[in-house]
Amino acid sequence: MWFRRLLSAFALLVPLVLVLIAIFLISYAWPAIRFNRLDFLLHDTWNIGNQYANPIVRRGATIMPGASFGIFFLVAGTLGSALIGLLIAFPLGLGAALFLSEAVPRRLGHLVSFFVELLAAIPSVVFGLWGIVFLVPLLSHHVYPILAETLSFLPFFRRPTGSGYGLLTSGLILSLMIVPFIAATLRDALASQSHAMREAGISLGATRFEVATRILLPGQKAALAGATMLAFGRALGETMAVLMVSGNALNYLPQNIYSPISTMAAFIVAQLDSALADPTGMAVRSLAEIAVLLLLISLLINGLARFMIGTLKEHTL
Amino acid sequence: MPDPSVSLPKPERWPVRGTPLIENPKFQVRNLNFYYGDYHALHDISLDIAEKKVTTFIGPSGCGKTTLIRCFNRIFELHPGHRAMGEIMLDGENILAKGQDVHALRAKVGMVFQKPTPFPMSVYDNIAFGVKLYERLPRRAMDDRVEWALNKAALWEEVKGKLLESGTRLSGGQQQRLCIARAIAIRPEVLLLDEPASSLDPYSSLKIEALITELKADYTIVLVTHNMQQAARVSDFAAFLFMGDLIEYKDTDTLFTNPSSQQTDAYITGRYG
Repeated sequence: MWFRRLLSAFALLVPLVLVLIAIFLISYAWPAIRFNRLDFLLHDTWNIGNQYANPIVRRGATIMPGASFGIFFLVAGTLGSALIGLLIAFPLGLGAALFLSEAVPRRLGHLVSFFVELLAAIPSVVFGLWGIVFLVPLLSHHVYPILAETLSFLPFFRRPTGSGYGLLTSGLILSLMIVPFIAATLRDALASQSHAMREAGISLGATRFEVATRILLPGQKAALAGATMLAFGRALGETMAVLMVSGNALNYLPQNIYSPISTMAAFIVAQLDSALADPTGMAVRSLAEIAVLLLLISLLINGLARFMIGTLKEHTL
Repeated sequence: MPDPSVSLPKPERWPVRGTPLIENPKFQVRNLNFYYGDYHALHDISLDIAEKKVTTFIGPSGCGKTTLIRCFNRIFELHPGHRAMGEIMLDGENILAKGQDVHALRAKVGMVFQKPTPFPMSVYDNIAFGVKLYERLPRRAMDDRVEWALNKAALWEEVKGKLLESGTRLSGGQQQRLCIARAIAIRPEVLLLDEPASSLDPYSSLKIEALITELKADYTIVLVTHNMQQAARVSDFAAFLFMGDLIEYKDTDTLFTNPSSQQTDAYITGRYG
C-alpha cells in the first residue's frame, strides 16, 4: 500500500512541476504582460530605457524612460529558423529512415541508426561551436555567394549574403539537431509495420521502395505528423546553438534568408545580463513574458501533435 | 524463350512413390533444396503442379509446406540468408535462375497470405495499387478492372457501395477476399494461397473455399492448409510433407482414402501433427 502511494506521489510530481513552472512564470511576468499588452507581439522595438535617468510611471507601471518591449522580430526569427530547419530536416530524416529500414542489411542498419541517434546526444553548445568555427566561414565565403547567384530570381535569396551568421545558418544547424528525431521516429514507424504487409506488397510485384513509400508510410501518417510537430517544437525552443550562429539581431526583421536574426529562446539568454541591470525589473519581467510565450507555443505544438496523431490514427485504421 | 511444350525429363527416379504424372504441368519442381541460413529446410523436392487445378500442401507445422509455396514467387528472397537451390520451371523457364525478372514472375504468380493484409487505403486503391505497377489504365478501364476483380473474388456485391472506404474497415473474411481480388486484378496465371482461411471464422472460411473452387477454372492454385477437411474438399492433388521431405504426392482422393505411407495415414487421421 505504501509502495503504491509512493508511486502515485512520484507520478503526480511530474505534472505538478509543469503546473508550478507555468504558475510561477505567469505570475512573475504578470506586470510585464499588463504593461506591454499586445504591443509585445506586434512591435519590434526592444529597449530597456535610459538606465541613467530616473524611473517614470507609464500605464500604471514603473519603468525607465524610453523603455519599450516589442518582440515581433523574435517571433519572426524563431518561426523562420524553425521552419527552415524543418524544411531541410524532413526530407533528410525521411530519406534516412527509408534507407535504414529498407535499403541496408539489418545489422548495418542498426549500426548506422546508432550513429544517427548519437547525433541527438551531441550537446547543443558543440553544434554551436562547430557552427562558428566551421560552418559560418564555409557558408559565408563559399556557399552563400553561389546560392545568391543561382537563386537570384527568388526575392529572399538575393544578396547581400551577410556575415554568415543568420537565418539560414540557424536553420541549417537546427535541421542537424532535429534530423535524428525525425529519422528515428519514422524508422520505428516503418519497422513497426507488420512484415505481412511488406510481403503482401512485394508479392504483387512492388519493389521494397514502392512498398515503403506507397503502403507503409501512408499508413503511418500519424507518426509522420507527430514526428514533424515534435521536431518543430524542439527547433522552436532550441537555445544555445542558435544563439551562437544567429547573429543576435536586435530590433531587426530579416530582409533575406542570410539576415541576422534572434530567436525567443536565444534572446532570453543574450539579454538577461542587461535586463538584470534595469532597476525597475520590467526588463526581466518582459524576458519572463517571452518565456511564457515560448512555453505556450511549445505546449500548443505538442498538444497539436498529439491531437493529430489521435485523429489520423482514427482516420487511417 | 524456350518452347514451353518441351517439358523437363522426369527425374531418373521420382523421390516419392506414386507421384502422379501430370499431363500439363504449370510448375515443374526439380531437386529443390531450401536453406534458412545453415538450416536445411527442404530436402530434394521434386513434383509437378497441374495447370488450372488446386494442388494442396499438407503436413504438420514446420514440415516445410509454407517454405515450399514461398519458392514459387521467390518471396523468400526478402529475407537475407534464405536460399533455394534447384529448379522450378514455369512455362519452360527456371524461375530460380539468377537474373530472372521477379517483377514479371510476380505478375504471373499472385499470393495471398494467412493474415489478411489490406493496405491502409481505400478498397478501390487496394485493387488499383497492384494494377498500376504494371499498366497505365485510363480511369474507366481501371474502374472496370476493379469491379471485375472484386466480382471474381465474390466481394463486389458487399463493397460496391463503399469502394472509397478504407480497406481496413472490412470484416476479416471480406479483407481476405479483398486480398484475393487484389492478387487477381493483375491477371496472374497462378495463385499461391498460404493458409488463406486459417484466421477466419468458419462461415468466412467456407466462402473462401467456394471461391477457390470457382477460381480454379481460370487459375492454377497452390494451397497450403492445416485443415484436412478443407484440403479434401477443394483440392485435386495433395502433397504430404514431413520434416522437409515430400512423403507422398497423389490425387487428393487417393491420398485421403488410400495413403501408401504410414506417416501420411497417421497425419490425416489426426494421430499426430
